[in-house]
Amino acid sequence: MSELIFTLRPAVTHLVDCRALTPNMLSGKALAEIKALRLSAQHTVADVFDVTGEDVTHIIFKQARAVIHYVGYQMKAGQIIIEGDAGDFIGAAMQGGVLVCKGDVGERAGDSMRRGMLLIEGDAGEYCASSMKAGTLGVLGKTGTRLGYGMKRGTLLLAQAPAAQATWLDCGWHTLPFLDILYKSFKTLDSRFATITQMRVQRWMGDVSGLGKAEILVLA
Amino acid sequence: MNINGVHIDDSFAEAFNMRGTRVIITAQNLKWAYNAANAMTGFATSVIGCGVEAGIESELTSDKTPDGRPGVSVLMFAMGSKVLMQQLETRMGQCILTCPTAAAFSGIASEDQISLGKHLRYFGDGNQVSKLIPDANGVNQRYWRIPVMDGEFLTQETTGMVRAIGGGNFLVLGTSQPQVLAACEAAIEAMKKIPNVIMPFPGGVVRSGSKVGSKYPKMFASTNDAFCPTLKGVVKTELDMDIESVMEIVIDGLTFEDIALSMKVGIEAACSLGASAGIKRISAGNYGGKLGQHHFKLHQILQGNLTGATTHE
Repeated sequence: MSELIFTLRPAVTHLVDCRALTPNMLSGKALAEIKALRLSAQHTVADVFDVTGEDVTHIIFKQARAVIHYVGYQMKAGQIIIEGDAGDFIGAAMQGGVLVCKGDVGERAGDSMRRGMLLIEGDAGEYCASSMKAGTLGVLGKTGTRLGYGMKRGTLLLAQAPAAQATWLDCGWHTLPFLDILYKSFKTLDSRFATITQMRVQRWMGDVSGLGKAEILVLA
Repeated sequence: MNINGVHIDDSFAEAFNMRGTRVIITAQNLKWAYNAANAMTGFATSVIGCGVEAGIESELTSDKTPDGRPGVSVLMFAMGSKVLMQQLETRMGQCILTCPTAAAFSGIASEDQISLGKHLRYFGDGNQVSKLIPDANGVNQRYWRIPVMDGEFLTQETTGMVRAIGGGNFLVLGTSQPQVLAACEAAIEAMKKIPNVIMPFPGGVVRSGSKVGSKYPKMFASTNDAFCPTLKGVVKTELDMDIESVMEIVIDGLTFEDIALSMKVGIEAACSLGASAGIKRISAGNYGGKLGQHHFKLHQILQGNLTGATTHE
């Protein structure tokens, strides 16, 4: 079965809510039904995307731009690849599966995420990993202000050092054995994350204004 | 039947249904993987006194382990699932958690899962971290990272439990203690190369075979006097006058075929020393065939019939 591909039409400039376009939401739907789904009062899927393919467990957004929001919202399993940039709340409330964005993302990526892997190859906007409950969120590019705001548990893996924050505490540099297993899981992905091999990381714990059981692991 | 001048008795080993599991132990290097695994499989020779029978199955290179470090695989067997779970948890806590750089992973797939680090995680006193990471097949596996003084102890949450067989065996009879031990050492070296089996006794060899019952009412097992060479004049002996020493190799394995193959390989290795090296007879231990569910017939196995056709349910 070929992947289900949503190619963003170049003319689209309005915000697009992609909450309905996850493997669990599309499960059991035929291509025609998917095309007819309403994304808002004014727009169906077919108005916004060219849609091809049938495998709803492997979804690709092509020619993606920052107008698409809530990609992977509450996704439970499967895989979503965003080829390009994405808007806000990418992977918000994610409950499983893998979401890879090859470009930059907007604000609150991984907000309230509970499980699964959200991998961002570009930059992430403000409030990345806000209120995250668990799971793994990786960012290869820069991160915005208020990183991990209210983050409770989970792992934030960063290739570049973030700005210092008062509610995140430095626990020093470590060689962590679990990273080898995590990196092996990256190897199955078509992503720049698959090239990471560095086992030595700087560990920060926070957000100590709340529960404080989350970690930021910095590769830089 | 005769191999290289060694007589093979027309007898059988009587073995029992057990529950088994496999754990992969890794560490910074093989030395520390062995330190952990040797501790975990120590005092695990017989279910009678130790609860479980355990041993190191094989060495694993770093490309064969989940975390890319060298390791060993450990097999552990018990008479029931409850005691296997208890023993695994205790040994994980005292032997693997405590061992510098050691990590533990599931070594066998099964619908029946038993705790590896599931309860051990509480040692982290609230600072333990759970990670759910997909394996090569995309199936999520849960790991626990427990902060310890050397860094982090990494363990998978559970491992599989499977039906297994314990108590496959054969006896090596010879004209002197050193000669019989040499034959047993040769057998163990060959048997170590067979996967899915362990020989749980010290160095793989046991010298104190037992019979059921005793003259003392409180003892339910006692020395196998019929095979004790120093008693051959006074008891109903199984030994000819030229037999001065008998040793036994006990095998636990995942399937009938695994044990049968290891018995074949071991007996052939022992017999390769030949009658001229003092090896006179190969026999097997049984209880008349009424207690154990599995009968390993020596002649059938040595003729190459390794299937479980002789299994008695």
